Formats: sequence, C-alpha cells, structure tokens
Amino acid sequence: MAVVDKLKRVFTRIRVIILVIALILAVLAIHPQADTEGVAIRTIMKDSAAFEAGMQGPKATDTPTSREVIKSVNNIPIKNVAEFTAQIEKLQADDTAQIKTDRGFYRLIIKSDNLTGKKQDVGVKVYPVPKTNIRKGLDLEGGTRVLLKPETKLALQDMDSLLDNMKQRLNLFGLTDIVVRATKDLSGNQYVLVEIAGANEEEVKDLLAKQGKFEAKIGNDTAFVGGRDIVYVCRSAECAGIDPQVGCGPASAGPEGSGQFFCRFRFSISLTPEAAQHHADITKDIPVVSAEPGARDAYLEKPLDLYLDNEKVDTLQIGEDLKGRAVTEIAISGSGTGVNRETAVEDALKSMKRLQTVLITGSLPIKLEIVKTDEISPVLGSEFIRNSFIVGFFALIAVVAVLVVVYRKLLITIPITITLLSEILILLGFAALIGWELDLAAIAGLIIAIGTGVDDQIVMIDEALSKKSQEIYNWKQRIKNAFIIIMAAYFTTVVAMIPLLFAGAGLLKGFAFTSIVGISIGVFITRPAFAAFIEELLKE
Amino acid sequence: MDAISKKKKRRELARLKELKKQGLLAHGQAGQIPVAQAHTKQKTSPAEHHEQGKGSFFSPFLHPIRSCYEHHYKKLLIIPMLILILAIGQIAFQVATTGDFIHKGISLKGGITVTIPGTTVDLDQLEQTLATAFPEYEIGLRTLTREGRTSGFVLEADITDQQKIDENIALLEKETGMTRDSYTIESVGSSLGESFFKETLISLLIAFVFMACVVFFYFRQPIPCLAVVLAAGSDIIVTIAVVNVIGLKISTAGIAAFLMLIGYSVDTDILLSTRVLKRREGTVLQAVYGSVKTGLTMMITTIVAVVVGLFITESEVLRQIMLIVLIGLMVDPIMTWIQNAGLLRWYLEVQEAKKKQE
Repeated sequence: MAVVDKLKRVFTRIRVIILVIALILAVLAIHPQADTEGVAIRTIMKDSAAFEAGMQGPKATDTPTSREVIKSVNNIPIKNVAEFTAQIEKLQADDTAQIKTDRGFYRLIIKSDNLTGKKQDVGVKVYPVPKTNIRKGLDLEGGTRVLLKPETKLALQDMDSLLDNMKQRLNLFGLTDIVVRATKDLSGNQYVLVEIAGANEEEVKDLLAKQGKFEAKIGNDTAFVGGRDIVYVCRSAECAGIDPQVGCGPASAGPEGSGQFFCRFRFSISLTPEAAQHHADITKDIPVVSAEPGARDAYLEKPLDLYLDNEKVDTLQIGEDLKGRAVTEIAISGSGTGVNRETAVEDALKSMKRLQTVLITGSLPIKLEIVKTDEISPVLGSEFIRNSFIVGFFALIAVVAVLVVVYRKLLITIPITITLLSEILILLGFAALIGWELDLAAIAGLIIAIGTGVDDQIVMIDEALSKKSQEIYNWKQRIKNAFIIIMAAYFTTVVAMIPLLFAGAGLLKGFAFTSIVGISIGVFITRPAFAAFIEELLKE
Repeated sequence: MDAISKKKKRRELARLKELKKQGLLAHGQAGQIPVAQAHTKQKTSPAEHHEQGKGSFFSPFLHPIRSCYEHHYKKLLIIPMLILILAIGQIAFQVATTGDFIHKGISLKGGITVTIPGTTVDLDQLEQTLATAFPEYEIGLRTLTREGRTSGFVLEADITDQQKIDENIALLEKETGMTRDSYTIESVGSSLGESFFKETLISLLIAFVFMACVVFFYFRQPIPCLAVVLAAGSDIIVTIAVVNVIGLKISTAGIAAFLMLIGYSVDTDILLSTRVLKRREGTVLQAVYGSVKTGLTMMITTIVAVVVGLFITESEVLRQIMLIVLIGLMVDPIMTWIQNAGLLRWYLEVQEAKKKQE
C-alpha cells in the first residue's frame, strides 16, 4: 500500500509528468507499425513499365512509414522482398501486371527490348517495409555514399546550382531517395556528400564524378555543346537504344578469339535553331568525300567528333545531305563492349543513359574529384542492427547487475533502469521527428549519452543517500549538489563535442549531434524526473 | 570578499552548533577547529581514516593501501608523473620512427576497407595471393568475430588508385566467390585521409581547450583547474601511448573515442574537485573517499558495459571505440585519485599554511 501511495505521488510530480509526455511524444514520432506485410517502394526507374503506369518513387523527405507499400502482384499477396522478386521474375515480355499498393492500383505493361526481344526491367526497386519512422543510416541499411570535392572553391550560388544539377542527374537516373548535400570542414574545404540508400549503384559514381562537359566538334570548330544547345534528348524506345542497323557483334578490332563483344547505341537529340544554324555554317565549306563502292552514302571529309570531358567518345560521319543545312534533329551514337552479347548490350545502354543524362543536365559548373566512396552491403547492415540489440541488452544487464551489487536496493536500480530506457526512447523519438539518420556514429553517440546517464544517476544517488551529506544538507540541497556536478560534466562534454559538428566533412557529425542531444535530453528531462522519482521513493 | 567570508563564517558556526546539538560532531573536531576551516584543517589528521567509509562496498579493497594513500600522497604523485613521462617518451619514439604519433588506420591514411561477412576462406593463402598480385601495397586481412565466433573477414589495403582498387576487388571476388551485394567497400582518397586526420586532431585540441575553459569558469581557482585539465590530458596521452604499444591502428572513430574519453575522464575529476572544493561537510579526505566510491561505481558500470560491447559487437568501428575508452577508463583512476587528488590536497595544504602565516 505504501508503495502504491508513493508511486501515486511520483506521478503527480510535474517533472515526472514532463517525462511521461516526452515518452508519449517519442512513441508517436517513432510510429511503430504493426502491419509490415508487403514491400516498400524505394525507386521507380524513369521510362520503365512502372513509371509509365504512373508509379512514383518516394522523396528523401518522406517519412519511412509513409512510403507506398506494394501489397500484391497479379492478386498474389506479397509478404517480403523475396516474394516480390519471384513474382516479378515470372512476368514475360508484353504481359500485363497488376500491382496493388496501399495507395492504389497500377497496370503495368511489361516492355520488351526492341533488339533482343527480352523483357525489360520492370523498374521497381523495393525494400522491406519500415517498422518505424526511425531512419537508418547507410551503415545500417546499405547503400552508396560518395564524397566529392570541388576542384576550386565555389560561391554559395554556384554550389546550389551544382547540387541541383547533381540531384537532377540522379533523378533522371531514377533515383529519388537520395541525399545530395554540401558539407564543409574546419579548414574551410567544401565537399559534396551524396548518399543513395539501398542497393549498390556503381554507375552512379561515374555519373557524379563526370563534369559532363559535352562538346561536338567538327575539326577544331565546336558545333554544339551539351545542356545549352540541346532542347530535347529522346529517351523512349523508338528513338533511343541499340542501333538496329549496326547492332552487336564480336569486336573486329580486338585480337581474334579475345571474346570481346561490341554494341552500338544511338539516340536522337534536338538542337536549338541557333545551334543548328551554327552547325550548318561549319559544314557548308567542308568538301564531300565521294562515296566508295559499297558504302551507303557519301559523307563529308571532316567527321563530327563527340567529346565528353575533353575525351573523344565517338566519331560520326556527316552525311552529304546534311552539308550546310540547319538541321535540328541529330542522332548521337556511341558504343559499349563486354565479354558476351548480353554484357555488351548492357554496357552500351549504360553508356547511353549516362550520355543522355549529361546532355540533358549540361555540365557541372566545376570539376569534382571523388575523395571517398563507401559501398555498404545491405546484408551487413541488417545483421548489425540485430547485433546492436544484443549488445545493448547485455550491456544493460551488466550495468544493472553492478548497480544491484553496489546498492543492494531494487528501489534504486529499477528507477535507474527505467530512466535509461526512457532516455533511449526519447532520443530515438527525437531522431524520428527531425528525420535524423541513425548510423554507426550515431550509435556511438547513443552509447556516450547512456554511459553519461548512468554516471549522473550514480552521482545523484550517492549525493542523496550519503550519510555525511544527510547530516548537513536537506534533500533539496543534496539534489542541487548533485546537479552542480552533473551540469559541470554536461557542459564539458557538450563543448568537447561541438568542434566535431563541423570537422571532417561532417562525417562524424552524427556522433557529436547524437551525443549532445542524448545528454541534453538526460540533463533536462530524465534527470529531473529521476530526482523526483528517488525523492518520493527513498526520502525518509 | 570580506562580506562573503563573514557570511560563510556565520553559516559555518551555525552548522557546527547544530552538529554539536545533535551529537554528531567528531571528537577531535569539537572546539579545536577554527570555523570556516573545518574542511582544510583536518586533512592530515592521522586518526581520520578509521571512521572512513564503514560499510562501504569498496572498503575491504581499499584498506591496505589506505594508509599509504593518506600519508604519502605527495610521494604517490611520482607514479602518475612517471607514467605520463613514459607515455610522452613512447609517443616521441613513435613520432621519431613513423613520423606520426599514432598508427594511422586506412580512414586517416587513404585506402580501402572491404568487409566480407559470412565467408570462410583460408586467410593466409588469400593474403599471399593478394600480396603477390599487389606487391607495392600493404594489404592486411583480419577475421571478424561476433559473439565470440568468426563471422567473416576484413581486408584493409592502402590502395588509392581507382583502377588498382577495381583489380583488387575483382581478384577478391574471384578468390572468395562473394557477390556484389554481400560485402562492403569503403575507400578513402589519400588527400581526404590526410585532411581527416588534421581535422579530427584540430577538433580534439579545440575540444580540450573548450573543456578547460568550462572547468576554469566553473572552479575559478587556477591551480585546481590546472589539476583537472592535467588529469584529463594525462589520461588521453597515456591512453594514446598504450594504444600505440598494442599496435592499434586508429581510424576516425578512434579519434571520436578520445573525445568520449575527455568527457568521461573530466567527469570524475569534476566530481572529485567539486566535492573537495565546494563542499563544507567532512574533511578533505572524506570528500576524496566519497568521490572515490561514486567514481569507482561510475567506472565499473562503464567498464562492464564497454567490455560486454567489446566481446559482442561485430562492428570494427564500435570495437575500436570501446577498446580505447576501456584503456582510458583503466588509466583514469590513477590520474584522478592519485594525481588530481594529490595535487588538490597539496594545494589546500599550501593555502592553509599561507593563511596561518597571515
């Protein structure tokens, strides 16, 4: 009965009420989901069957639990990623697939490749349905992180246009769940941080590092450049893809039996009238080379050379009929190689996509150097989360065991344990609320916060229960004494973490931020509540 | 100043009166101690340790060294000083032989780290294959353990050339049969590694200076403040030396661990100095012992948590952080309760002597 009375008093204390409110808010922010059947959509590739059916990929700013979830494919319920993949693999070219999500219903017509006749990728990338709104960082979820350094210092607005351009490039690639952010370090170096959640996107690295300065030259004259001179880049199957006239075949240039295959791609672009006129002005004085027997057409003496970042990527003959004419429609071509037909096709299409992207977005205002890349396996991440729970659980048990041995009072150890757990919950809730990603560094920060939390509560218990203190100070003064120590420790830790918020391209920011937020929550929310707790429970 | 001390004096008198009334005042204390100096005067009293910490959980362990600790604290100061000098010597040696004061890991030097979980391969053989294929680089393989069992391996190589990296990965894939999604590659360019190292070092220094400022602001007495800062600094320096001796290669996370250590190490020092300088109850030694009890409880809880983490975690990053924090926590008691406490007692003794002369 006495205990019940005490507990009643505990929960009428304003500090405890604040803690309870914080806990409720945290749970609301974390938003745990009971129903996690299905698969969440990560990306919808541009121009894919899914894209044309009207499906959309999530934005990076969408909260994890608000993402669209696929519930069934062709009326077969989908429980997990493996089931989804199995259903998608069953689909044949020209099939119609019905995908039902928690938002709506989509009818996909599976496209076939116009050259190989094989079905094209459906264009949906999925991942397990998030159980909470806590965002997992790349370390835990898998994905690609690229840190790039601009060659020279950029003004603020140049940096903005650089970031916009890079975002646009990635979006064109079908990646929407991305982070593209400028960061700095203490020495004032600028960096661009790109994070792509989920699977490894190897080609993305090339896409980001390329400045994408595209130039078409005839002799030494620039005919047109990417971005500015180009109004339209065709990316649909009718006017872009493997060149049906040339197709694929064994590379003739390579040594016999090298096994190299070679594919040509082509796509059409539209030039601005000014660029077309400029093109005409250059070509009008170039003599025609007479057609050789067997050749299809006569062409001009000087070809059109395509340069990407000052490197020649392809050479096109200019047909005789184009001489001096202002044509706005131009076909761009290029090639890909591989050890067999399939990989050659793949490589060609990849190069095509990259070229199309840089032609649309134009060149970046500056050259970027990749200074760090992390490609993190999703397998490793999920294993790590499981492992973290085990570590946390056993560490907690060990700490509680020590406290039981030292104090021999459950009335002390139980409140400490409750306070610890609420601190973790509030911190996670806060992270979910502001969209802070939890990664390895953040977990290290969490460990600091918890460790400091335990230390502070030991200080409070010892101050409150010390016989010597009891002789001189009343309860309030003793708690105040404890807080004097706690606040000093708090401020030293916070100021020690502050430089790390700004150092090293922000890669350790998660650590500093999480520990600062964690110990602040401790000092301002859970510690006062703990004081009220022990006052009601232990004060004689 | 005068007004304050008068006020203090009055408060102290009232307190003593109250204690006397309750019969709680220690025998030797009654009458003989000038007010307002109760705290400092008692510290050399030979009798006081007998009434110390009865029933305290740690008292049995402390008994044999107690007398030495109480009476020879100045001589004991030699121990932390000696350790500190040895540590500085080790670091100087490290700088002289390698050019850096720590063994830099890949993330501070540039190179690649490949983490391959769940594969069991003959590491020695793989290491040889890689070494013959890439003789110009330093390639290291380590097994990963989780919950006490082998759970994969990590490759670290100081390769920064993209083409060579691709070749290395291709060879690795061929040798281990791993697939693209099953492993993690982290690569750091050498320029970034260098700037990371510089950056984290600067932040460590700034952190230390900031911490010192807070301590000065808090205690406002130069010498005790210096003692706190010295204790935290010694803890970090000695930990660096120990880390060097065991040959741990420091990554950026390792630097984060040293930052954690600043926090943890200063906490116990603040605890000690607050109890000794800002409290009026008991004697200096009582305050020291009180903080030892609290501090040891803090230390033991942290150590058990860290040790558990060290054994169970499969993250190399966390393991390194835990290991460094663990080493630092082992060093901390010497710096806090021998060095800092010794300096504090010495300081108070000198103050006392000065007051007497006046």
